[in-house]
Amino acid sequence: MIEGFRLGVYSRGATLWDGLDFAFGDAAVWFVTGPPASGKTLLLSILRGERRPDAGDVLVSGESLYRGNAALARAWRASCGHVPEQAIAGAPPTVGDLFRRSALVGGAVRETERKERTDGLLEMVGLRGASTWRISEMSISERVRACLAAELLRGPKILFCDGVVAGAGVPSWEMLWGLFRALAREGNTVILAERRIPERWALAAGDPEPVGPFRVYRLPGPAAEGKGGPG
Amino acid sequence: MNEKPSLWWIDWRISRGPIVRESIGRFLFLCLLGFALLSLLLSGGVSRILAGRYAVTAVLRAEVPSGEGEGLARKAAALPPVRSATYQDPEAAWKEFLRAYPGLDPLRGTGENPLPGYIEIRIRPDRLTVKDVELVATALRAVPQVERVLAGEDWLPRLLLAGRLASWACWGVFGAFLAGFFLVGRLQERARAVALAGDFAFLAERGVSAGRLAFHRAAGAALSGFLLAAVGTAAGGGVLFFSLRKYPILERVIGSPTDLLLPQTIASAVLFSVGAALLSGAASLLGWRAARPGRK
Repeated sequence: MIEGFRLGVYSRGATLWDGLDFAFGDAAVWFVTGPPASGKTLLLSILRGERRPDAGDVLVSGESLYRGNAALARAWRASCGHVPEQAIAGAPPTVGDLFRRSALVGGAVRETERKERTDGLLEMVGLRGASTWRISEMSISERVRACLAAELLRGPKILFCDGVVAGAGVPSWEMLWGLFRALAREGNTVILAERRIPERWALAAGDPEPVGPFRVYRLPGPAAEGKGGPG
Repeated sequence: MNEKPSLWWIDWRISRGPIVRESIGRFLFLCLLGFALLSLLLSGGVSRILAGRYAVTAVLRAEVPSGEGEGLARKAAALPPVRSATYQDPEAAWKEFLRAYPGLDPLRGTGENPLPGYIEIRIRPDRLTVKDVELVATALRAVPQVERVLAGEDWLPRLLLAGRLASWACWGVFGAFLAGFFLVGRLQERARAVALAGDFAFLAERGVSAGRLAFHRAAGAALSGFLLAAVGTAAGGGVLFFSLRKYPILERVIGSPTDLLLPQTIASAVLFSVGAALLSGAASLLGWRAARPGRK
């Protein structure tokens, strides 16, 4: 359980938002929407333990991320996966390097095993044989999917995705829907931040909970959904 | 795969090409430095050249027999600063004189050898100091069979001062190259840290502390610096060994190739390797500062 209590952020000399409460349960897919410049990326940074909020606190399984043990916060961040909004700056040269970098965080893994898992994950996101592709030559959609696959290499318990659904594009929505539900079914938590939620996902999720400038949806698990995906 | 990641050789695991290029360059540079270090250690700067050219001459009285002269030479050789002491009898002294000044045979027209025997004393390169020379000269002057001791006390201090300055200059050049090694290493580390900044930021975002990263990078750099310096010095020593064997004339300047295996030479090489390790680690830490991942 990830909980945000009375979160507040001051930015550019003004209060961006203040007094927001969040509660993200385990083994579920959460979808946070908000208008442009509402602080979605900032919210994900705060929940990941990377950026201290100007007010309030974040608790993970009852432990404070910002007022507790620093080692605990680091362990939390190590257990998280994060797919940022796409930018070429800071990215490694090839998709294979992206996976190699991701594997560094995950601890010791054999080269052959990593390659096998890389190929499998790339195929799953529709990028078969892309490990030698140059990231600077890929489209945003391909980059998003490659980054998502690289994060999944480590098997993170919590996955934060910033603009992944919009970046991946409509043709990938069905794949993402199935992937996120599968992750939740395996006990993982996925938190997505987007400007808007795909219409069919919103229909499946039901009414959102309004929190400040945001709308928080909980996507239904596989059992709750009828036949056919909403992608 | 959620165990704590190992950060040993992190640069190597992220990007191997630059590491290989840098390591080859550093190895060659350390070979050169190792060669220079061992040459300087063995030669003592210019001490060996000076010691090879300088000698104390004890002129014996005319009536001293050859056997007694040789006995005195053996006693002189036993003095701590003395490398060798050679007795030349009057006849050998006369021949040497004629070699130096040909055409002066008529001086011996009466049949009497006008030259006395003498003992030529060479000082060890590491003991070639005014104090040690005075020690030897004083010991010889106290011997009744010795008529005169020629030790060049008037000009020796100036010669030794010039030698010391020359030695310092040699070590200074060596130090400058060592400083160059550090500065180039620092620039390489900085360039690599900047190139890998994205990877370090990625790790920092995922809970890897910057201090732990910096420590492991510096420790890896120090360890590889030690190994490169040790192997480079051994390679430089090997080249020096074969050079001294092939060109024995170099022994007069540098010393015997067997001196390379003396414990103090090996200890100095190990110290040099430790120094290179410390410099490599420091260069890594300073280079890291350029790419330290900051907070958003």
